Amino acid sequence: MTAPLSRSLAERVVPLPPAARPEPTWDECRVVAHEPVGDRYHRLTLRAPSIADRALAGQFVMITIPESTPSRSVLPRPMAVHRRRPAEGVVEIVYGAGGAGTRALTEVAVGEDLLVTGPLGRGFTLDPGTRRVLVVGRGIGVCSVMGAVEDAVATGVEVVAVTSARTTEALVGPGDLAELGVERVLAVTDEAGDSAVPALRSRLAGELADGPPAQVFVCGSDRLAELCRSLGQEWGARVQVSLEAHMACGLGYCHGCATAATTTGSESPLICADGPVFALPTGGGDR
Amino acid sequence: MTAVTTGPRPVGDPPAGEDARARFFAAAPAPEGGAAPDLRVRLGSLTLRNPVMPASGCFGPELAPLVPTSEIGATVTKTVFARRRGGNPTHRLTETPMGMINSVGIPSLGTDGFVREMLPRYRAMAAPVIVSVGGLAVGEYLTVMDELAGARFDGVEVNVSCPNLEHGGLDIGTDPDAVARVVSGVVARTDVPVLVKLTPMVSSIAEVARAAEEAGATALTVANSFPGMTLDPRTRRPVLGNRVGGVSGPAVKPLALRLTWATAEAVGVPVIGCGGISTVDDALDFLAVGATAVQVGTAHFARPFVMAEIARGLAARCAAADATRLTDYVRTLGET
Repeated sequence: MTAPLSRSLAERVVPLPPAARPEPTWDECRVVAHEPVGDRYHRLTLRAPSIADRALAGQFVMITIPESTPSRSVLPRPMAVHRRRPAEGVVEIVYGAGGAGTRALTEVAVGEDLLVTGPLGRGFTLDPGTRRVLVVGRGIGVCSVMGAVEDAVATGVEVVAVTSARTTEALVGPGDLAELGVERVLAVTDEAGDSAVPALRSRLAGELADGPPAQVFVCGSDRLAELCRSLGQEWGARVQVSLEAHMACGLGYCHGCATAATTTGSESPLICADGPVFALPTGGGDR
Repeated sequence: MTAVTTGPRPVGDPPAGEDARARFFAAAPAPEGGAAPDLRVRLGSLTLRNPVMPASGCFGPELAPLVPTSEIGATVTKTVFARRRGGNPTHRLTETPMGMINSVGIPSLGTDGFVREMLPRYRAMAAPVIVSVGGLAVGEYLTVMDELAGARFDGVEVNVSCPNLEHGGLDIGTDPDAVARVVSGVVARTDVPVLVKLTPMVSSIAEVARAAEEAGATALTVANSFPGMTLDPRTRRPVLGNRVGGVSGPAVKPLALRLTWATAEAVGVPVIGCGGISTVDDALDFLAVGATAVQVGTAHFARPFVMAEIARGLAARCAAADATRLTDYVRTLGET
């Protein structure tokens, strides 16, 4: 969740209706696996039973960069809960090592502990009547939607998934989607030349010609969010988007991650507490 | 491949079983009796169970599940303005070397919104409530105080230093006469102790501190975040939507420590040290230079339970030194 926040997208989102969410906790979580994924990401498996057991789809955690690392980072890093495995008491995170803090995080070895606060935020809502859902993720944005895939699969909702990345190596989620039994997966890359919005749009139109999804979940790209909005309008589908932001507290008290605040009147929604998942109005008859 | 074991699950349930948070809460020191050191400090008529409280803006009721508030000295609210404020445009904060910079712009519900929506949530926590009061002019502080009449709280902290607000010019806190007018006006409008949070951006903090003391301040908080600026290396443009903001965190601790020392030398009222405190040793540094209490800000983000950790650390240091009272222990600091 380190990409710059797009104001244009953030200004257009609407908070989802309030919903019950688990009370956050914090834990010293043992690193049980930690390995690079492709050339830019890292997959971190943490022993975090009280988070694995309760995190909702689309929620995130704050990971404190250890004081023992050289970065001396004072801010924890918000990261989507990519996979929940409550039976094993673990969660999986996939993150990009873009800055000093996350680069320091890559040095944390299996067997060490990380301070993790969560689960946090308003996640995705899979509506009761939904029979088919389209999930779209770019890069590590795939992690934010993977919990919704887990829920959909567990409740018999058909999933059509798009994972997009610059290179085949950098694709996040193909293995997870295969593990979850999702068969309709479009893995597209800049490298292969099939990730551009017009190409993806016509592929999706063909792929879903047998019946459009009732809901679309998207994260990780403003262009893909706009594509989902447009498709949602065409299909009459409801679109939810997970936003990214610089954060400090992750809980709402620091007010550091307002979506598009102005200096007058009321504060706009906070990405950490009112989101990170918001409704993206399509301009159709969705909301 | 592992079987799929996830899916929708009940919500609102307490954390399952053991985790570090549960163990930390369960390890709370015994309440009364025994050999627990006396950490109490006095700010005028207000006695705190220990000297550890949050810095305004870096704490909220959202933290209640994560830190045992029965183990902290007080809570301090986000600064309340008379009218509702939206705050500043994004980005509002980012990390800096050994610290962070923010220009949140102090969004506020206005006094009535604060009293209705936020104050009850603060009062539900197990610590005295200090309400931070702000204003863009001398009169606004007094308006907030008038509007707070009838509300229940245990102290006021007058925020005369808002270095990151868009209403530039000199902060009220840089003008000893304006500080005196605000403080005497606030003191006249309440029976609870009045803390004054000074700005670090003055040539003589002693002069402003004395003005606040003479106007009736119960205690002085020293200091606030330090005005700063940071650029995006890719664009050479300011990261913050407001271009400039306040720097906080370990990077500012030596600056705040000097100001705390200088203020404690200049006034007779208690001083509350604030700036880059994240460990018990940081807190002891401020106490050693004359602070009576400390405020913790930025450290909450990485360690949400940090205040209780510091309070427990103070008790442990006293116990290790066979000191029954923190004030006795602090007196021995710096002795060779």
